[in-house]
Amino acid sequence: MKAKDIMEPIKDTLRPQTTIKEAIKQMKLARRGEQRVGVKGMVVLDSDGNLIGMLSIKDILRAIIPEYMTMAELGEFTWEGMLEKMAKRVENMKVEEVMTKKVITVNENAPLMEVADIIIKHNLQRVPVLGKDGKPVGIIYVRDLYWALVKALLGEEV
Amino acid sequence: MLILKILEQHEAFHVEEFGVDWNVIFLLIGMMTIINVLKRTGFFEYVAIKSAKLGRGDPLKILMILFVVTAVLSALLDNVTTVLLIVPVTFLICEALEVSPTPFLIMQIMASNIGGTATLIGDPPNIMIASKAKLNFMDFIYNLTPVVIFIIFIMLIIMKLLFNKRLVTSEDNKKRIMRMNERDAIKDPLLLKKSLFVLAVVLTGFVFHGMLKLEPATIALFGAGLLLLISRTHNPHEYFAEIEWPTIFFFIGLFIIVGGVVKVGLVKWMSVKILHLTEGNLFATSMVLMWFSAIASAIVDNIPYVATMNPLVIDMAEQIWPHVTGKELLQHPDLMPVWWSLALGACLGGNGSPIGASANVIVVGMSERAGNRISFFRFLLYGIPITLLSITVSMLYVWLRYYVIKF
Repeated sequence: MKAKDIMEPIKDTLRPQTTIKEAIKQMKLARRGEQRVGVKGMVVLDSDGNLIGMLSIKDILRAIIPEYMTMAELGEFTWEGMLEKMAKRVENMKVEEVMTKKVITVNENAPLMEVADIIIKHNLQRVPVLGKDGKPVGIIYVRDLYWALVKALLGEEV
Repeated sequence: MLILKILEQHEAFHVEEFGVDWNVIFLLIGMMTIINVLKRTGFFEYVAIKSAKLGRGDPLKILMILFVVTAVLSALLDNVTTVLLIVPVTFLICEALEVSPTPFLIMQIMASNIGGTATLIGDPPNIMIASKAKLNFMDFIYNLTPVVIFIIFIMLIIMKLLFNKRLVTSEDNKKRIMRMNERDAIKDPLLLKKSLFVLAVVLTGFVFHGMLKLEPATIALFGAGLLLLISRTHNPHEYFAEIEWPTIFFFIGLFIIVGGVVKVGLVKWMSVKILHLTEGNLFATSMVLMWFSAIASAIVDNIPYVATMNPLVIDMAEQIWPHVTGKELLQHPDLMPVWWSLALGACLGGNGSPIGASANVIVVGMSERAGNRISFFRFLLYGIPITLLSITVSMLYVWLRYYVIKF
């Protein structure tokens, strides 16, 4: 099997100029397969449909956690309501300011071993799949590899 | 310098007059190693949170307590490390109190430079002056600490007047501070005890190093070795890797450059000019030197400045007292106020601009990264008056103590 055989086709995408507040709303409504189940990460495309970034919940959390907390171990000294207040501060930031810009991708014809290798080496939750023209056509989640294992080891169809 | 043979390698590495001042290098390495262990214990975070709670969450009190704490820590440890560890906690405290962090950060910069002036180990210019003039730790305590304490006292009054109305917060915000438990900051209580023990040993060693006839560098290296030994660490290279090697090599390179400049006679030429200008009057020389040092240190880094001025002062002394040599020349009673003026001017002048000292550059940079930009002008608004004030106080002090009372 190849990447394109297990990937989920991309249905919802984000634009770089969208605000974080709007992006969170879109993530909540995003589809996986046919259902609107919400996703924890989405691809960001420019107007020509090229992949320019990925926005995940972790990216948003990273923007919410104040910079000075990364300079020292201060987690024990935070207070109730701090996260909510900091979240308000970033709600009007643009997706492009927060997203991960260096996106690791796989080609749609990549074998599954390559996909697994990339996911483990880079500690990813999901990896976008690029088509022939270099534009994203799908996303492979760790879960999709799990189903591939189910099929390989248990012989069950998904 | 070495390739062109202006300075021979032998001179650079083995001759005291022209070469690398290994006392400075190894004192820095020793102290940096001790701090590298200490900073992992959570000590600095503990102290900062404790200060905020001592101030009962009141922003003005916290500002003043952190000012004193930063000054004391900078006097005993490296300025840059002190601010590097205190500043993140300061941001958190200001966030909790919903007040602007800018006054806190600028005051901590001022405190680090003022506090650093107080002791031999507080600031690199003092380390360099001590090594060149063969002064000991207690000389600095007797001569510089009193005026620094006085400046800190004045600063506290100014802060109270300046920020009394401007720093206010709600009772709810104060509770956030009071709910913090400073003990949570301590990551490794045993290592903390060991570090503080070694620090106490080292500071005691500094107090007596003149009597013991040991160089401060020897004591600092002994402390670093002792701490690594009793901390039972399995990978000391972690602590060594965090020594600021760029700073160390900067010093080595700087000493070589200055050595070359001294050897070709440029410094001699300058000292003749200065003596000519002040007509050999050492009081005038100290006053001019103090103000010139303050201005120069505000504009350029005070480390290369002092590295150049040290041989210049010695050269002047040689011209005034041609028949005196060695320690008697370096510590000629009439020369001492000149050394103190150089130290006060160079250290306190660092407050004059955002680029006046390493601590300034680092705090302003950290603040910008944290989304709180401190503009050049905003810094000058605090920096220039405070520098003028502290230098004026120092000038009166040097004049009164060494030329009027002659104590």
